[in-house]
Amino acid sequence: MEIVFYNKVGFITLLGREIQRFMKVPVQTILGPLISNILYLGIFGGMLRTRQVGIEGVNYLQFLVPGLASMGAIFAAFQNPSFSLISQKFQNTIQDINSYPISNLEKSLAFILGGTFRGVLVGLLTYASTIVFIGFELAHPLLFLISLGATSFLFASFGLIAGLVLDNFERMDFLLSIIITPLAYLGGVFFEISKLPGLLPAIRFINPIYPLVSITRAVYLGIFDGSIYWQIGIAAVMIIGSFLTAVTLFEKGIGIKIR
Amino acid sequence: MLSISNLSKTYLPDKKEALKGVTLDIEKGEFTALLGQNGAGKTTLINILAGNVLKTEGMVKIGGYSIGSHALETKRIIGIVPQDTGYDFVFSVYEALKKQSGYFGIRHNGEYIDELLESLYLTDKKFSNIRGLSGGMKKRFLIAKALVHRPKILVLDEPTAGVDIEMRHTLYDFLIRLHQSGTTIILTTHYIEEAEKLCDRVVIIDSGRIIADEPKTQLIENFSRKVTVEFQFDFELDSADMAFLNAYNPQIEEKTKLRLRVLKKNLPEVFQLISRRNMEFVDLAIEKPTLEDIYLSIIHR
Ligand SMILES: Nc1ncnc2c1ncn2[C@@H]1O[C@H](COP(=O)(O)OP(=O)(O)OP(=O)(O)O)[C@@H](O)[C@H]1O
Ligand SMILES: [Mg+2]
Repeated sequence: MEIVFYNKVGFITLLGREIQRFMKVPVQTILGPLISNILYLGIFGGMLRTRQVGIEGVNYLQFLVPGLASMGAIFAAFQNPSFSLISQKFQNTIQDINSYPISNLEKSLAFILGGTFRGVLVGLLTYASTIVFIGFELAHPLLFLISLGATSFLFASFGLIAGLVLDNFERMDFLLSIIITPLAYLGGVFFEISKLPGLLPAIRFINPIYPLVSITRAVYLGIFDGSIYWQIGIAAVMIIGSFLTAVTLFEKGIGIKIR
Repeated sequence: MLSISNLSKTYLPDKKEALKGVTLDIEKGEFTALLGQNGAGKTTLINILAGNVLKTEGMVKIGGYSIGSHALETKRIIGIVPQDTGYDFVFSVYEALKKQSGYFGIRHNGEYIDELLESLYLTDKKFSNIRGLSGGMKKRFLIAKALVHRPKILVLDEPTAGVDIEMRHTLYDFLIRLHQSGTTIILTTHYIEEAEKLCDRVVIIDSGRIIADEPKTQLIENFSRKVTVEFQFDFELDSADMAFLNAYNPQIEEKTKLRLRVLKKNLPEVFQLISRRNMEFVDLAIEKPTLEDIYLSIIHR
């Protein structure tokens, strides 16, 4: 069993590599997502800025900023560990990870925290870039940071699971465009889900993105309603569940050991 | 140091049996050659030690630690030079080796890394990107990488495949020194003369089973009870006249050479038989089998 902390220096080295990997190519990993978010904000936010949303006294631009910050964090956090693992499989260096005296708990944490760091960075930079459009407007900075961190941690865990289970980039692209992107659209990033017709609003109850975007938006705007406690509860359960799943996959050697 | 008992491996999807009940104990300080044909199961065995392949049955202990229940401890003891691996092209040789040290919990390893690079003739490539190394240099880089944590056991899976002959000899010297300094070494190779030069124990694996496991000298001794004797005459030989040597499988080569296969203890008798016929030979050679001959005869048994 390797559910222990065993090798602190090893863990830090692995985490360092996961951060270095995306810091070496900042144009693709940080600037790219930032630019598309800013464009979106400039075009749609600008066009629709005076339109009111369902929340009292909030215009569309204010609604959009936390949504975009969350989405930037979600994609960046997901992509870091999944891309790292799949490219190691592609390069045939994946067996290296089996040779390190680093516990599965530490390995999982290193990959997830690397992704979390990238997610938070993209989320914060997205927020920072919106200052030009609408000013500082951040009700609870520390809670906002924690919320982005939790969002990134969850999706970095999903990314780690995907990176272990999938063995090529095509499958990962498929997952991103067929599952994660629609879930983001239906997760309240761009509009209020409850305004959708028919049964579509029900999707929010099975959509992991929804509670996290809602929490981030609540702490950004400083407007809470009773549902926030539910959402925090659901987010916590998902975070713990996905983290334990990732550690278990490592423990079983899924995707990294030949059976 | 390394204890393997009844180890079996059946690869899952196509139920391919690669190892069938392998038992092997390697003592501290041994230099063992693991020989066998393509597909015999050598890499499978090594990958199980490395934790890349999950065993189907059996027990494996490295330095007394089971690879199942104490995997982390085993990683510190063993160093593996894989046969088939890729390279992380993002880093330079030095960066990669520093990272490798870090993964093993070692913070300040610069001096030892320099030492390794020096003895593997890679010093001038220290800051080169790994992409820029030649095939043979990459192999040497892999050896350095396997050694940064000073493992007690080093396992090399065909480290000299594709390495030029001069560098191969440099590597032999390196391995001999490493062995002398106390490292237990297991080497797989298809160059049998390499095993003959370096190793003190020979293990031959065939279709997933160990078919020979002996000290090298003993193996050669066992197979040397029979030697090949070659007599050179200064007249032409006629095979019909050689019937008196039929017990020794006489063969005439280049008309004037006679080759016999003889048990060492029967050599005097053979000389007597020949001199009784008044056949005077002008030259004589006795050949002991090389490890390669022995290997081939074991494999074809
Ligand atoms: N991942 C795998 N899945 C299925 N079968 C495999 C796998 N790896 C190896 N095998 C099979 O297991 C057997 C042993 O292969 P292995 O690589 O251990 O041989 P080897 O002795 O190292 O050969 P070589 O000298 O060619 O390197 C072969 O029949 C091979 O086809
Ligand atoms: Mg092999």
